Amino acid sequence: MIAAEHVVTPEEIMAYRDGELSAERAEVVAGHLQSCADCQDMSDVLGGASQILTSWKIAPLASDASFEGRLSKMAASSSSAKRPWIRSRFVTFGGRHPFLSGLLGSVAAIGLVVGVVFALAQRKYAVPLARTKTVTVAELSDNRQLAQSLQTAPADQAATSSEESQPQEMQYSDVRSRLDSLTAQRDALLQRLQMEQLTSNLANPQATPMPQPLAPMIARTVSLFLVVKDFEASRLTLDAVLARHRGYAANLNASTQQNAARSLQASLRIPAADLGSAVAELKALGRIENETQNGEEVTQQHADLGARLKNSREAEQRLQAILLQRTGKIGDVLAVEQEIARVRGEIERMEAEQESLEHRVDFATIDLNLAEEYKAEIGAPSPSISTRFHNALVAGYRNARDSVVGFLVFLAEYGPLTMIWLAVLAALAWFLHRRWVRATSLTL
Amino acid sequence: MNETPTNPASDEKLMLAFAQGSPEALTELFRRYQQPIHGFFRRRVTDPARAEELMQETFLALLRAANRYEPRALFRTYLYAIALKILRAQRRKAIFRAAFFGRPEAASGPAKQDGTETSVWVRRAIAQLEATDREILLLREFEQLSYAEIADLLHLPINTVRSRLFRARAALRQLLEAPVPQHASEKIFPVGASS
Repeated sequence: MIAAEHVVTPEEIMAYRDGELSAERAEVVAGHLQSCADCQDMSDVLGGASQILTSWKIAPLASDASFEGRLSKMAASSSSAKRPWIRSRFVTFGGRHPFLSGLLGSVAAIGLVVGVVFALAQRKYAVPLARTKTVTVAELSDNRQLAQSLQTAPADQAATSSEESQPQEMQYSDVRSRLDSLTAQRDALLQRLQMEQLTSNLANPQATPMPQPLAPMIARTVSLFLVVKDFEASRLTLDAVLARHRGYAANLNASTQQNAARSLQASLRIPAADLGSAVAELKALGRIENETQNGEEVTQQHADLGARLKNSREAEQRLQAILLQRTGKIGDVLAVEQEIARVRGEIERMEAEQESLEHRVDFATIDLNLAEEYKAEIGAPSPSISTRFHNALVAGYRNARDSVVGFLVFLAEYGPLTMIWLAVLAALAWFLHRRWVRATSLTL
Repeated sequence: MNETPTNPASDEKLMLAFAQGSPEALTELFRRYQQPIHGFFRRRVTDPARAEELMQETFLALLRAANRYEPRALFRTYLYAIALKILRAQRRKAIFRAAFFGRPEAASGPAKQDGTETSVWVRRAIAQLEATDREILLLREFEQLSYAEIADLLHLPINTVRSRLFRARAALRQLLEAPVPQHASEKIFPVGASS
């Protein structure tokens, strides 16, 4: 349309008509238009097109007073209740830095999740602790009532009542040791009472026509888990306790690893009468982590064993009488001797069992676990740097290998399924994209 | 459009006044731009009622975004940018519905409703333009936006806007001079914008 010798382009002519040219170029175009008929025609054509477009008129919208009123109300309420400064700043910041705000949001969300999990974990561990304390308090009150009912220690009773008047000031460990000593006294008194009853029964059999039942035979077991500060001192105290109460260690295993807390597991046998005081002394070694007390009633078992033993002894005596009085074939004599040997064996086995049972009753068992409160030492020897690097490299290689193998296993397991779904979704996305492109090509 | 002798406050000042708590400023802006924004949608959306709804949505969006307004560009550009976003969202929804529920019957086009014979002819010619060229032409001819404002709105270089505008005008001229084919006359602009 426009020849090459024209000094202005058609677009510049259009821009000149639209008032979008710089003053300098506008002057050039205006001058050229006056001298060039072709460019004048071009300008007229462009002007004609714009003129035609003005025929597309839109009927003015009828005034909608209701919407205008609603908008005014909303504007008034919006301006009267302005957003807080910080909120509006947040919105502006989020709009300007979407990536950064997204990152900060993610960090906040992760922090929230970690906090919630941590709080839940704290709660989980706090509940058993509270429960343990409740049980202990109930146990204390039981022991206290028992001590009062026995009326064995008025001084302690007075102390207990004074402690009740000020429970908040009472230290837990003090109460615990006091009540342990009370329990020990109670056990000793019970045994003395039973012995006195037994003695009086033997002295005056007519006074009590009905035979009084013997004292129950109870094999007691106590399990203690303690955390101590000074391991060496605790070890010495343990030996002293054993010596004082004439007990012994049936089994003792001490572990003293380097750069780690030391520990000791022992199975102690203490005379039953001294159990309470021995346990109280052991508890004073450190903080009690766990305590269990068991009492196994073996009276019936002991009585059965005694009866069977008595029968077997009588059978043995009868057999020996037969052997002495009767004469017969050598085979019969041998048979009687064999029977005597068998009965003798049974008697010895039962005697050993009875002895063991009585020993279990006489000597209570304390399963003791001592653990040291570990404090890391500054000058503690540590592996050399080269060893640590070597170990780290080996661990890194193993981790990398495991990760690659895990990824390949995952691919082998879920790869085919993932491919199928990707193909289905890609086909759907492609279909929608095609429709989108077709539609937007017509509507911008 | 921006200033009148009776109310000399500029659009930008009014918008800032509204952002700082003056509800009357928004009412004044609504009065100034109600008809232009309605015309903007009316030329691009088939359904007149839908066009009015979109106009109202534009002002509600302006109300909600008042706190974030910063006078970096002309208020007019800012307002048309909101309108363009709302228009695009409307078209996306229409296309989404069409993809899943089938294309609904096109409402009777504006040409059959309120246009004269000339305007029907013009619309049909405009409907045949390439989409971006058409949008540039409409923004220039009817919304009276400058090349720079159009480039800002459509995220195009200003030279691209100028060359495309020239191409659209030349093509429109040719289309208006040529006899309108029968199949083209069936095509009512805008095609994909039915509500």
